[in-house]
Amino acid sequence: MQTPDNGGYMVAAYIITAVVVLGYAVFLLYRLAKSKDQ
Amino acid sequence: MSSYQTLRVTLAVAAKDLLVEQRTKTAFFSSLVFAILVLTILYFARDATAVSDLDLAPGALWVTFSFAGMLGLNRAFLLERENRAMDGLRLSPASATGIFLGKVLGNMVFVGVVELVSLPLFILFYDVPIWRQVGLLLLVIFLATTGFVAVGTLFSAIVVRTRYSEVMLPVLLLPFLFPPIVAAVQLTRRIVAERPFDELTGWLSMLAAFVIIFFFLSLLLFEAILEE
Amino acid sequence: MTRRERAIRSARRGSVITAVALLGLVGVYIRALVYTPVERLQGLAQKIFYVHAPVAWAALLAFAVTGLLSLLYLITRDRKFDMVASSSAEVGVVFSIAMLTTGPLWGKPVWGTWWTWDARLTSTLFIFLLFVGYMVLRSAFNDFEIRARFSAVLGVMALVLVPFIHITVYWFRTLHPEPVLLKPDRPSLPGVMLTTLLISVAVFTALYIGFLMQSHALMVLRDIREEETVDANA
Repeated sequence: MQTPDNGGYMVAAYIITAVVVLGYAVFLLYRLAKSKDQ
Repeated sequence: MSSYQTLRVTLAVAAKDLLVEQRTKTAFFSSLVFAILVLTILYFARDATAVSDLDLAPGALWVTFSFAGMLGLNRAFLLERENRAMDGLRLSPASATGIFLGKVLGNMVFVGVVELVSLPLFILFYDVPIWRQVGLLLLVIFLATTGFVAVGTLFSAIVVRTRYSEVMLPVLLLPFLFPPIVAAVQLTRRIVAERPFDELTGWLSMLAAFVIIFFFLSLLLFEAILEE
Repeated sequence: MTRRERAIRSARRGSVITAVALLGLVGVYIRALVYTPVERLQGLAQKIFYVHAPVAWAALLAFAVTGLLSLLYLITRDRKFDMVASSSAEVGVVFSIAMLTTGPLWGKPVWGTWWTWDARLTSTLFIFLLFVGYMVLRSAFNDFEIRARFSAVLGVMALVLVPFIHITVYWFRTLHPEPVLLKPDRPSLPGVMLTTLLISVAVFTALYIGFLMQSHALMVLRDIREEETVDANA
């Protein structure tokens, strides 16, 4: 049985995870920076 | 507070709620009409060639009961909020337990009446042969309703102070309806199909466990909600 | 050290942990994508497992923490528990979003369907819904004591609910065998794959801790600011 060609899903999943995680990390840093200024 | 006093508080709170409801009757009739409409619409919405009445019936019944139940729960605390009666209750020497049990009792009577009136309609519309199993069915209805009313009463007390309580109550409550309603539907389905009792014991014990655990948990936590 | 200084120090430490975890994540990505063999039957999509499972684990961890700290708050009424509980919920929502998006992306190619109502998936969906409910409830109250108390009640209820959801679905499925999907069994993972998975779990756990510390520090700083505003107006 041939290995299915489904790399697209993998790429999408890895990208989404990275975006979500990095997005939140950036969000936290931004909020902390703003907080410290006040 | 002694058990006797708690009992008196329970009955007093329930009686008060039911008396208020009896005077206006709006919520009751609305829930009833709602129940009839849902049963009717679900019946006509089905594809009669693909789905037999008996397959559809349990789901239809419980969707009806859940929605009518939520209407009932909502009105229970709306009443309190309008007259700031909650503050009165909190300031009174009545124990949280008594108040909780009273509210649950009042809600159970309200929802119970709607259920008992919709049940014959359900039997009629869906041609359900339940006469031999009525007792069992009533037990299941009682258990599931108790579980859902107990948690619903607690959450009503939580959301009554928020601005969008009508929306928040379903949002918070619905996840908690999943186990009892699924169990109730599975049990109703088997009861209506007249399956032997051993096929019911699993779901029945899960339903009972849910009701016992969540009834006591809601009772305990209600105290924390009532504090000031 | 003032409360503010402590919070800032905690934020800094959290940032460091997060940074290290993010580096670890890069390592995991490389290892999973390049150095871990492709599963023959499932193809490349199987590799989603190396991010999906750990992220789900982290969401579950966040949920358990929120639930347990809610209980501790109700018992002790120590605000710290409430603040960490709500930080955990926020981080949990983030991980849940990653979990609920990567799950179907793995399910479709491997199982043939975007979603299946099995015990695990359904429970994780409910965890997400409960998290959202928790945060919505919190946003409805301005008074911090009421907010803490009421959301703690929800937190405890939610914690007890999830096992029931899991059992309900599990019984539903075992008593109602569904049509068999193209569903691979849980094979015991060969060494390389298992190692990748474990490293990933460790990285996401570290990420959870880092995020938690940062989120909590933010909450404390916001709290301090609110107190100062109140004092200034008094």
